[in-house]
Amino acid sequence: MSNLLVVLVLLPFVAGLACYLLRASFIRSLVVLGTGGILAVASIALMMSGPFTYSPEPVLGMSWDSLITIADFALLLVILFYGFKHNNLLIKLFSVAQMAGLVILELFWVDHTAHVPTFYADQLSLIMVLIISIIGSLICIYAIPYMKEHEEHLHLETTKQPRFFLFLVLFLGAMNGLVLSNNILWLYFFFEITTFCSFILIGHDGTEIAIKNSVRALWMNSAGGVAFVAGMMFIYASTATLDIQALLTSGNTATVGLLVGLAFVAFAGFTKAAQLPFQSWLLGAMVAPTPVSALLHSSTMVKAGVYVVLRFAPAFAGSFVATGVALCGAFTFLACAALAISQSNGKKILAYSTISNLGLIIACAGINTPAAHTAAILLIIFHAVSKALLFLCVGSIEQRIGSRDIEDMRGLYARMPRTAWITITGILTMILPPFGVLLGKWMAIEAASGQMLTVVMLAMGSALTVVYWARWAGSLLDMPGGEKPAPEEQATLMRLPLMTLCLGSVVLSLASPAIYEYMIRPMFVAAPFTVAGGVLSGPMGAFAIYPLFLLLGLGLLYALRVVKKSRGMTYAAPYASGANVEGSNDGSFVGPMNAPVKIQAGNYYLPAFFGEERLTSLANIAAIALIVLMIGGAL
Amino acid sequence: MTTDIILILIAIIVAPLAGGLISGIDRKLTARFQSRQGPPITQGFFDVAKLFGKEKMAANPWIIFCAWVYLVAAALSVVLFFLQSDLLLIFFVQAIGAVFMVIGAMSVPSPFSQVGAQRELIQILTYEPLLILVFVSIYLVTGSFSIDQIMLVEQPLLFKLPLMFIVLGYALTIKLRKSPFDFSTSHHGHQELVKGVLTEYSGPFLALVEVAHWYETILVLGLCALFWTTSIPAMIALVVLTYLAEILIDNTMARMTWRWMLKYVWSVGLALSFVNLIWLYAKV
Repeated sequence: MSNLLVVLVLLPFVAGLACYLLRASFIRSLVVLGTGGILAVASIALMMSGPFTYSPEPVLGMSWDSLITIADFALLLVILFYGFKHNNLLIKLFSVAQMAGLVILELFWVDHTAHVPTFYADQLSLIMVLIISIIGSLICIYAIPYMKEHEEHLHLETTKQPRFFLFLVLFLGAMNGLVLSNNILWLYFFFEITTFCSFILIGHDGTEIAIKNSVRALWMNSAGGVAFVAGMMFIYASTATLDIQALLTSGNTATVGLLVGLAFVAFAGFTKAAQLPFQSWLLGAMVAPTPVSALLHSSTMVKAGVYVVLRFAPAFAGSFVATGVALCGAFTFLACAALAISQSNGKKILAYSTISNLGLIIACAGINTPAAHTAAILLIIFHAVSKALLFLCVGSIEQRIGSRDIEDMRGLYARMPRTAWITITGILTMILPPFGVLLGKWMAIEAASGQMLTVVMLAMGSALTVVYWARWAGSLLDMPGGEKPAPEEQATLMRLPLMTLCLGSVVLSLASPAIYEYMIRPMFVAAPFTVAGGVLSGPMGAFAIYPLFLLLGLGLLYALRVVKKSRGMTYAAPYASGANVEGSNDGSFVGPMNAPVKIQAGNYYLPAFFGEERLTSLANIAAIALIVLMIGGAL
Repeated sequence: MTTDIILILIAIIVAPLAGGLISGIDRKLTARFQSRQGPPITQGFFDVAKLFGKEKMAANPWIIFCAWVYLVAAALSVVLFFLQSDLLLIFFVQAIGAVFMVIGAMSVPSPFSQVGAQRELIQILTYEPLLILVFVSIYLVTGSFSIDQIMLVEQPLLFKLPLMFIVLGYALTIKLRKSPFDFSTSHHGHQELVKGVLTEYSGPFLALVEVAHWYETILVLGLCALFWTTSIPAMIALVVLTYLAEILIDNTMARMTWRWMLKYVWSVGLALSFVNLIWLYAKV
């Protein structure tokens, strides 16, 4: 147990330092590959060994708790330093406020003699460790060839990769620590490390915009840090324990102080998960190299936010805070899905989609029934896989075609056939059955049925989601018939993660009954669903996974066969009112002055309905009102 | 088990036949509204048979693939409906077809097909939330999303969900692409869109789309039937009246713009849903 923990939490820190200190690119690649492999294996081994509680022995006569306290203050001082460096008042204020809160907690309030188990892992933590260690590692591996090409584009004199990989790899350790911590102070420490890592990684390219966006990410997440400290203080004041499990099982929700504390912790989770009105830091994060975006959006950072909310959710079950959390999450789901429609920048669509899906997960945490928690965990798993895949796809496309605009990706199949179909698979796994994300959405809507406002927002958000994904998938195929796509070349280390994630998104969906049965169901006293013959059924309804996979799979294979057989047929020119240019298959027509006109198509972005400038400020105001409602409702 | 197999066979074979006949009746009545004689009610089958006999031609292979997936998804959703499974699941399976129809239309560089696809997406956007809310309201009355449980109600759902039935009506008119909501497949040759999202589906592949549409018609009428499950004659009467109303609306309304549809249907649909849902929640 302790060995696995050392590997999962400490190894990434050591490996990150190795990347930083050993400057040869070959060694760095080996370290990243090796660490990724070891993390993946260790996470699976940890899953096999099941739930546990563990406290490390003191080292060199110092307890780990005090080491963490020292590291906490050191980290806050570093953040304060960056506050001065970038001359940002908010960062300075927030880091000082956190230090002040910690001083009060550590020096005056906390009883340091009480034993608090440092680590605790239940099914939720173990699943998170799997996601972080496997998907996170794949993204780090993808980063090796990506960063090489990235720096070639930028014509850098000296490479900045050592520092980049230091924080990228270290991030995984911090995330593993975060999801395994049982001492709330440890959780807070890892929470702050992820804030700091993302700040450094977003600003990695050092351009003006990168610096600006990284500073914004830092102050917003520091605001979350302040909320976290405040939450810890309220919680400790009313329960006198740092032990998260003790807190959750105390069944002590009646106290106002505890509820307020939990609402503040949820608020901290919101900032980290970029929920409205804090979405701008994650949108700004796309200036970073693609592996950073992929990491922040899928397996780390934002998932830390939803993890925190989900972890503490049982403690506020049945209170008004729960309703508030559900409303906030559902509102973000709806508003960001609407905003995504108005976007043509691929990375921005992905970003809004991430925020939107995180909102859905948070709404599930707020609904707070076993069925809703199951939905949340399934969404965390499947969203991480599909979103990591899609980010890596957009990264590859951008390096090839020099644009991340989905209009420029029209007919991508002709230029990058493999990447195009991998992207389409990724998109379909986000919106259609029998895939996992949709399974989660199905559960979420059924679980939300008891809450009118929440379910209305989920219904509308779900429809908006289909629109922005479907048109992206369609436009990738937009090409004349009869053309042979050029075969695609790609670095092996880029192709490997893409193929693995693509396969994973499909195979894991197929395995969802088993995932539920063996990994999620043990969390609950009363199982929300039963599995029989690959059909997940609950008291409200049933979702047939194996039968759907079988029938749709057969249908798909048949359709592919028909397509294959039709290869020899004549391809018709697209309809152009009979004015087609003779002999052309691309839809061009004879226009004025008998000149050929090439047809151009574009998506409806509906700015009059869903434009950013139209919706953002309104949505932010509404979101702030809901958050005030959530915290105020605790009083 | 045997009943299941019989139900599956009915769903796969009888449903499209019934759907084809209904479309024939639709065309006949429409013709009479317009003082025309109209085709025989079996005309739909002749049309499809003729289309299947045409030479296979398409703008690219994807559109063939998409037409087949559309058909498979539509048939599967009807099968799931007859097997009385989960309403939301049926709806999501049906959405596979809708999405692939759009993807197919978008895979061809033709302005008509491209614009039609965008409009079809807006139609999907308009009806999806309303249908989900209809299912949620059915759950609130019956305590389940599964049709086999829903069929056990003792009082017709229509009595408790009158407003939701109107909402369903809106959603279905859009789903079946009837006026005033038919802009993704505007079917008048002299108008700007020719056949919108369907422009590039031709020959045998258009036949597939047509058969898929028959399946969808049955699914849609099946959803209406759920509102009166306590007596078979009343159920049939409700379905017939609803479809006649659809035909009447189709023939008396002018096509509107999609902007109008999105605003109007969302506001009216949500308002009706809220009122109906609030009184349900008040009782729970």
